[in-house]
Formats: sequence, C-alpha cells, structure tokens
Amino acid sequence: MSEKPESYEAAVERLEQIIDRLDSGQAGLRETLDLCREGRELVTYCSAELDAVSEGLEELRLDELAAKLEATPTPNEN
Amino acid sequence: MRGSLGCVEELPGPFPVGRYARKLQEELRRRARVRLVGEVTGVSRSKVQAYFELRDAEGAVPCAIWLDDLEKAGLPAGGLRDGAEVVIGGGPDYYPGGGQASPSFAFRATQVRLAGEGDLLARLDALRKQLRSEGLFELQKQLARPRLPKTIGVVTAESGAARRDLLAGLQRRSWAGTVVWGFAPVQDRRAAPAIAAAIQELAATPAVEAIVVTRGGGSLADLWAFCDETLCRTVAMLRVPVISAVGHERDSTLIDDVAAVACSTPTHAAEAAVPLDCGAARGDLERGAAALRRAGEGAVGSRSRHLVALARGPARALRRERIALNQKTREIRASSERGLAERRAFQRRLASVVLSRAARRAAGAEANSRREALRRAEVAFRAHEPERTLERGYALAEDAAGEPVTSAAAAIAAGRVKLRFADRAVGADIDTDGSER
Repeated sequence: MSEKPESYEAAVERLEQIIDRLDSGQAGLRETLDLCREGRELVTYCSAELDAVSEGLEELRLDELAAKLEATPTPNEN
Repeated sequence: MRGSLGCVEELPGPFPVGRYARKLQEELRRRARVRLVGEVTGVSRSKVQAYFELRDAEGAVPCAIWLDDLEKAGLPAGGLRDGAEVVIGGGPDYYPGGGQASPSFAFRATQVRLAGEGDLLARLDALRKQLRSEGLFELQKQLARPRLPKTIGVVTAESGAARRDLLAGLQRRSWAGTVVWGFAPVQDRRAAPAIAAAIQELAATPAVEAIVVTRGGGSLADLWAFCDETLCRTVAMLRVPVISAVGHERDSTLIDDVAAVACSTPTHAAEAAVPLDCGAARGDLERGAAALRRAGEGAVGSRSRHLVALARGPARALRRERIALNQKTREIRASSERGLAERRAFQRRLASVVLSRAARRAAGAEANSRREALRRAEVAFRAHEPERTLERGYALAEDAAGEPVTSAAAAIAAGRVKLRFADRAVGADIDTDGSER
C-alpha cells in the first residue's frame, strides 16, 4: 500500500470517491487501473480493520489492561 | 512582632475570654435563620446530638442537631447518612466550652428533610448555567469519534443491568473488539470521585478510543453523582469522547450535557460508541470490491474490444475502397467509349485551332527575323558609305561628270576637280607645279 489510511472512515470515504469516479466513466485507462489498484488496497485495509473487531469480544478490567500493557515490551526495549 | 505587640496594646480590652465566648455565642445566635442544602458527610452521634458536615463542591459547614429534633423530622430509617442530600433549617451557633469541655462552632439544625427533586433541580439548574457559561458543554462535542474503534472503555457498576445491556448493544453492531471495564460505584457519595478516577484512567490508556459512562434509571437523588461538578468538569476536559447513558430517557444529568453524546439507554450508548454496523460494513465492502473488479475488467475489456475493432478497420476500409474503385473503373470505361467520337472531333477542332495559332505565331517570328537581318545589312552598308569616310575628314575628288578621280594622272588630265567634303563640295584647279614626285 502506497500510504496507510488515517482511519477506517478515511479509507471508506476515499473508496467511495474512487467508485464514484469509476462509475462516472470519465477516467481514462491509466487512471482507471491506478484507481482500481488503490481501491483494492483500501478494501484490504478496511477488511483487516473489520477482522480486528470480529475475532471475539475481549473483556478486560482496568487493572488487567495495565498489567497487559506492562507485559508488552515497548519498541525501545530489547 | 514587636510592632504587633504594640497594636495589641492599642486595642480595647483585655476581656476575660469566657465572657467574650458568651458574647460571640449571643451574636451568632442573633444571625438570621436559613435553610441550607447539601450532601451529608461524616455523620457521628453522641447521646444527645448528631454531628455531620453539609458540603457541596464549593465548601462545607459543620452541623449539629439534637436527637429530639432529628426524631421530630421523621426521616426514614438511616435517612441521615453519608451521601444523603438534605435540606436543613437553623442558624449558626457557638458552644463556648468551659471547664474540661472544648469550645466548638456548628450550624445548629432544628429541622432536616431529605432534599426533594425541586431542591436538586434548582442546584442542577445553577450548575448547568455555570458550566454552560464556561463553554464546557461544547468541548467534547468537537472531538472526532471513530466509526470503528477497536477498544472502548466502559465505566459502570460491576453488577448492574447496564453492563449486560451495553454488551447486547455491541453485539447488535456485530462488534467484537476489546472492552475495558472501569467498574465504579454509581450511587452514593463515593460514586462521583470513583467514576472520575476510572474515566481519567481509561482516557490515559492510548488504546481506548471512546468511553461509555452508564447506569440504569433512578430518582434524581440516585443519579446525583452524575451531576457532580468535579466529575463533569473532568469529562468536559478529556480528549477522548465520552458517551453518557445515565438513567432513562426522561432523566437528564449534568454529565449528559458535557459528554460528546448523551444516550437514553446503555444499548444506545453501545451503538453510539461503535457507530458502524460491522455486518453491514462488511457487505458494503464486498460490494465496493466487486465494483472495483467490474471497473478494472470493464476498462480493459471494453478497450480491448475497441482495439480489435480498430484493427479490423483498415482491412474493411480497403475492401470498401477496392469495390468503389472497380465500380468507378467500369463507369469510366463505359463513359469513355460513349464519348470517344465526340472527344476525337473535339480534339481535331482543338488541334486546328492550336495549329493555326502556332502558324500565326511562327509567321510573326519569320518577319521579325528578316527585319533583324535587314537592320544588320543596313548597318554594314552604312559603314561602307563614302559619307562615313568624309565625316572622318577625308575628301572625294570628282571630275566634271561626277566620276571619282582616283589618281594624280587623272586629276592632271581633268584639270579641274570638285572636292567633296562632308559638309559641302568645292571646286579645285589642278596645279601640276606643286605636285610631288
């Protein structure tokens, strides 16, 4: 993906713009192929975002969350 | 310090302190009797009195009530307890102490009742005006709310029905991310600080993208913790959106005003926390993906077909042109045969006209040539004329008959000659004596 979308909603908004443009029939061949490639990347991103909230509800208490965060090494730690 | 001692000497007195304490008591007791409203804290009892503090966000007053008066007030059992909102009537009092007893100040309550809806609504109204005037209702509403949060925080009672309803709401969204529970009491004087602490802790967790604060319905007194000024100020200043769902639809607490979104039930709060219906979104996404596939394939397919059609174009055009050419050839042949005789006659006429014009042109050229030759002969002839010689200074000798005298002997024989110069002729006699030999 050329650039990761800021958020799910930003990705969906861009995807809608792309489909509108393609539906208009005004895009040339090169633009159409570029838009299709960008659109496929956005679909992949959105799909992954939906998957992330579809794999089963996880319930944590605040103290459990704190313990979980402490157990997760930060990027600076070896 | 020395200066201060000097001041002491300038003041009236010194008076015996006991007398002063009695005077102070009298003066305080003369003050107007009023009603106060606030939350009861620190209740304790002696054999004859009950003691407590009455407080709100701005301050507190120590209070005392004779047990007789408390009994007359007819509060429900345990009515005077920590966290109860009450209205008391009375005035300030001072116990001067004496002997071993310590002096103390207290608001002497002679009447007490639990605060009614009207009292609380009046306080709520004042608080609401205050927070609105400070612009605290708008801050949360300006925050962006993610449509698909992965983690949400929830502040509620651990054992309440609100918890179950909220989970049902999330299920309706087909959402199965992470819920972080910040359990807290939701009804008593400990509730507001505990709720505020849980909210702040959740907001400090980067993964938490939205916070739901919820509890079931109750009287305004039951929900009073959610009107707590400190709690509401805390919520207003958070940078994480807070969704409130406190009480039922008709209940309106102060936290509803400062929150990003106020919902009537925990189920609705769940839907506000996760605005996206994940099932529907997946369907939309599949349709979007299909539209992209169609567009991509269509763009290439239609252009390919167009290219194929274009590639066939030249052959078709050639065939068409060849047919047209053959047709023209036939037409030309037929036409030429039909008009051959006429064309020949025409050409003959044309040839004769052309030839005559050529002859005329040729005749003109011959005359010109002759004129030129004549002019050249004339020039040559004139070069040989005697006059040209005479013009150069020579003279022509002629005899009487006009014949040229071309020798001295002929001149002597003629005796007289005519000398012709270029301008005129003169006569001359021949003198033989002067002749040279």
